[in-house]
Amino acid sequence: MILVLAIAAGWLSGLVRSRIVRKPYRVPEISMIWLVLVAVFPQLLIFHIPYTAGWFSDTWASAVLVISQLLLLGFVWFNWDLIGFRILGLGLILNLIVITLNGGLMPLSPETARALYPEVPPSVWQIGSRPGMSKNILLLYEDTRLAWLSDSILLPEWFPWTRALSPGDLLIALGVFWLLAVEGPDKPTPQYNSPD
Amino acid sequence: MNTLIQKFSLAAGKVNRRHIQIFLVLLTLSMLVLGAGAPGMSGGIGGF
Repeated sequence: MILVLAIAAGWLSGLVRSRIVRKPYRVPEISMIWLVLVAVFPQLLIFHIPYTAGWFSDTWASAVLVISQLLLLGFVWFNWDLIGFRILGLGLILNLIVITLNGGLMPLSPETARALYPEVPPSVWQIGSRPGMSKNILLLYEDTRLAWLSDSILLPEWFPWTRALSPGDLLIALGVFWLLAVEGPDKPTPQYNSPD
Repeated sequence: MNTLIQKFSLAAGKVNRRHIQIFLVLLTLSMLVLGAGAPGMSGGIGGF
């Protein structure tokens, strides 16, 4: 949810900025959009739709997550000329590295899980298991490869949505914010030559 | 009824190529962050 919030914040900032410079708000041109749909659709089935999530084992979930993120990296590569995509791509690479090194899912320590869901009994958090239909795997912090790249950043308790983030997630949020707030509004308007 | 259709036509007339482009980019980026990001238990833990 915080990543969607970054999109909203970037868009609003872009709108305000376009008002200040008195130019219509424009978004950067993005190519190969279909690649995002192809990459994200399986993730929707496995991680976001409760009805279909049960059809897939954890092995499938981890394989699909890695392949899907590789496809998204391909999409970022095709749009590499935009700075926002470079920032976002770096975040994606960091997430992909820690996910791949830890068996295909994003590591989460039991301590972080307990902080996120204090009402859940601690015995529920079984090391090596995937909680619900999430992209996470519960691993002890000391047993996690490149643990500092995992979901180890906790946002303040007053924050209403998901509070555990990875450094890669922060870069992804910054990348989309940059794309919409900075790279959109000042894009020069195409000049058309009059036939006269 | 005619007035309603007229209002809808006016609103639709104001939607131009730029609006559709903005909508498509926002939709694409939303899908992208959904797939690229992995915030802690974004899919929910379910059953609790």
